[in-house]
Amino acid sequence: MLIEREDLSVLMAAVAEGDRLAFKHLYDRTSARLLGIIRRIVRDRALAEEVLQEVYLRIWERAATYRTEVGSALTWMISIARHRAIDVLRQHKEIVLAPMDDGEDWLERVAGPGDGEADLEDRDQLRRCLERLEEPQRSCILLAYCDGYSRDELATRYDTPVNTIKTWLHRSLAVLRTCLEAP
Amino acid sequence: MTSDIPSTRAGEYVLGTLAGAECEAFRAALATDPQLQAEVREWERRLAPLSGAVSPESPSPAVWSAIEGKLAAREAAPAEVRVPATDTAAATVVRLRRSVRFWRGIAATAGALAAVLILLIAGSVLWPKLDVGQYPGGREYLAVVNRGGDLPALIVRVDTREGIVTVHALGAEAPPGRSLELWYIAAGKTPKSLGLVGSSATPILVPAVLRPDGVEGAAFAVTAEPKGGSPTGSPTGPILYSGKLVEVQR
Repeated sequence: MLIEREDLSVLMAAVAEGDRLAFKHLYDRTSARLLGIIRRIVRDRALAEEVLQEVYLRIWERAATYRTEVGSALTWMISIARHRAIDVLRQHKEIVLAPMDDGEDWLERVAGPGDGEADLEDRDQLRRCLERLEEPQRSCILLAYCDGYSRDELATRYDTPVNTIKTWLHRSLAVLRTCLEAP
Repeated sequence: MTSDIPSTRAGEYVLGTLAGAECEAFRAALATDPQLQAEVREWERRLAPLSGAVSPESPSPAVWSAIEGKLAAREAAPAEVRVPATDTAAATVVRLRRSVRFWRGIAATAGALAAVLILLIAGSVLWPKLDVGQYPGGREYLAVVNRGGDLPALIVRVDTREGIVTVHALGAEAPPGRSLELWYIAAGKTPKSLGLVGSSATPILVPAVLRPDGVEGAAFAVTAEPKGGSPTGSPTGPILYSGKLVEVQR
């Protein structure tokens, strides 16, 4: 699945004008990716599809607020999907967080040949920067971003005070930021 | 400590690890702070490659059908909820009953609203344009008044020492031919009008009808009323926005 940046921002501009056909194309091109992301966070397939539906209605409503200069259309859509999925996850306390693959495995996938993703830049750089983090700090970042773990859930998983988790996250973010901003 | 750096908070927001109240406070600040908005976009861009590692999953065809159905339904009923224009006794009774239902509804959902709207962070962060330091000894409360999960429509600030309520209209929109009226609802009490909401972003000062002991747990709502405000002194139109007051921790 090759998602080209140009195409998506063109589609998004048409969606902002109220073009239903463009919206359908946008959906066809991106819905599998967004559902994967949502499902990973909320776990339940039916719930994930419900969230997906809401997310696309939001994308439709807010397409006019998207600006190409602030980032790629896919990144914009992913952030809408992740925020909504995390909100739903926090409301559904009964969702059980299953253990996931360890951090190493994930790192490989972040940097792997992937699916010709042209829209998400800096994969290699992000991987290099993630490698600078130690375990379990790196896994905390991955579990939070990809699986929607809260600070409390991370604290339980690593049997660590929640304040320590907070400190880990803040340090890791600082390291990533510095590393990613380096030329 | 890095926790006070806006970039770090923005990073945690994007990770999704800001807890409920902290997250809502961040969202409220985000609505008015371009610097913070830029930080959030940066983190979204930086971390987005992580989502490239998640396996895609094709949705069932029912999802698109449902989306199409909702879009079609919206087109069929594009306007705001309509209030009956007739003013016969019967219509008035219906309207009043309806409004009673609305207010019962808001009481029932107060808990949910609290979860969504609570603000518990330093006033200076939330309210960058006002110097909260100039009200020593006073208690301060804020409510973010919004519609569903949208960006705030109004920010209501209550200063019990000064006895003033300040309303910042950010994105509140009145339906054509109607006025927006702001209501204050103390826990278990009937709504009191605080006046009409203007469209400008400048603060509106209204006389306080609030007793300090009635502030905790109070909610605000904005209804669409006939031009010039509710004719009955009670809300008659649909609730467009609502939010709950929370004390600002200093």
